[in-house]
Amino acid sequence: MSRTRALRERLGAWREAHADAARRSLARRLQAPVMSLISIAVLGFILALPAFLWVLLDNARALSAHVDHEPRVAVYLEAGDPEELKDRARELEQRADVARVTAIPAERALEDYRAGLEDPGLLDWMDENPLPDTLDVVPARSDPDTVGRVEETLAREFPGATLVSDDEWVRQLNALHDLGARILAIVAGLLGLGALLVLALASASELRERREEITIARISGATHRFLRRPSLYGGVYGGLGGGLFAVGLLYLGAALAREPLESAAAAFEIDYALHLPGPGVALGVVLVAVLLGWTGARLGSGHALRDAP
Amino acid sequence: MILLQRVTKRFGSQSEALSQVSLKIDPGVMAFVTGPSGAGKSTLLRLIAGLERPTRGRLRVNGFDLDRLSARDIPQFRRGVGLVFQDHRLLYDRPVYDNIALPLEIMGYRRPEIRRRVRAALDKVALLHRETARPQTLSAGEQQRVGIARAIVHRPALLLADEPTGNLDPALSREILALFADFNRIGMTALVASHDQDLVERMPHPVLHLEDGRIEARTRQGAEA
Repeated sequence: MSRTRALRERLGAWREAHADAARRSLARRLQAPVMSLISIAVLGFILALPAFLWVLLDNARALSAHVDHEPRVAVYLEAGDPEELKDRARELEQRADVARVTAIPAERALEDYRAGLEDPGLLDWMDENPLPDTLDVVPARSDPDTVGRVEETLAREFPGATLVSDDEWVRQLNALHDLGARILAIVAGLLGLGALLVLALASASELRERREEITIARISGATHRFLRRPSLYGGVYGGLGGGLFAVGLLYLGAALAREPLESAAAAFEIDYALHLPGPGVALGVVLVAVLLGWTGARLGSGHALRDAP
Repeated sequence: MILLQRVTKRFGSQSEALSQVSLKIDPGVMAFVTGPSGAGKSTLLRLIAGLERPTRGRLRVNGFDLDRLSARDIPQFRRGVGLVFQDHRLLYDRPVYDNIALPLEIMGYRRPEIRRRVRAALDKVALLHRETARPQTLSAGEQQRVGIARAIVHRPALLLADEPTGNLDPALSREILALFADFNRIGMTALVASHDQDLVERMPHPVLHLEDGRIEARTRQGAEA
């Protein structure tokens, strides 16, 4: 037999062995549909919670972007030539981390101020304009890193000028986002670990049910790989089912949360529509579930096979 | 094929199930092990099949040193051995065909080859017409023949049988032993444990007699104690 043919034969045998294990594992699941559905539901519930939290966090982030709160950095300069001030503003706008710059000469600032007073004559007794020239700088992004970088640049470009930034709320909001993301990671990690243990236990107990078959197969020279193959397929089926169930729960939860969330946004005069998780998120949840199913089955079956005679 | 040198087997703190047993069985030989219940026949067969490890002594079977066989090599060793049990040890959740196909699936044969070999083995034990039956619908004799078909379907070099006629009437027992003799004629080494001295002595094969974990006597050539 040529080497190519031998390789083809081995590949064919490998494929057939996997097909057999996959078919038997599925048949075993269909023979006990209630138990299979329960284990799928358990995994689904476990995965749906962090996925739902993720959707909430994602929406909170989107919602905060909706609120008009661009951080600004104001640069107060000694009053000078208004044209020169405009030039400086145009120069700054060339920078990638700056969105736009408004130049407010001292004269205009005073006029604006005067316009806001009930009795504009009040300012006439002043000999000179006490207001500075101002550059109102809006950074390209509202994250603290960008705002901080812009502040550093302005401090370098305008030594002696007074800088005032209103990015405190950005820092607070970002800190809240980070906290939310951290809590989500912890919850997801703990639940994932719990799911893994449940799946490993289920796989080990299923393997114990196959004890007689395993004993006979071992006597006939079966390797661990051969014996655990149906369990691994079982883990993948359970993961797939659990993942799809979790995605169903996720969309159901999002649909139920939509109306109250949008009403709440409207109460704050924010025109906001709930972001539903996209296909990428759904696929991610299913993939994580399949990975958990496979890993749980691998751990459980490995343990049970070591214990088996 | 089988070589035991002063092999002792002790289970926990109990007395020795086998004491200082030495024997040699050449390739292509069929031999019997006889003795009363508890004499150590099953222990001897389980040691030779690699299902137990000796407490002391040297044990070489089909080219493998079983007293120091690594866990990784055990499957490879077992694929060269066919085992028949008194209680058949069939899987009752699947038909006869699937029971017999199991060793071939384990060894990675393709489906057409599995079909061909399973049908040949079923033909050999005269059960070709029962391949789709569930084992529980078969008689004791038929179940034992399914067990034998499973043990020989991958054409092992060594066939071990532990009381294969234990539950069968004399006519069926003779039929089963004749089957083993047939496999032996095509080159399989066979070692059959039986407590039925009369039945065994009617066969023209060497007999090793065990008493209290020791080989007490042997008859005919081909096996040395």
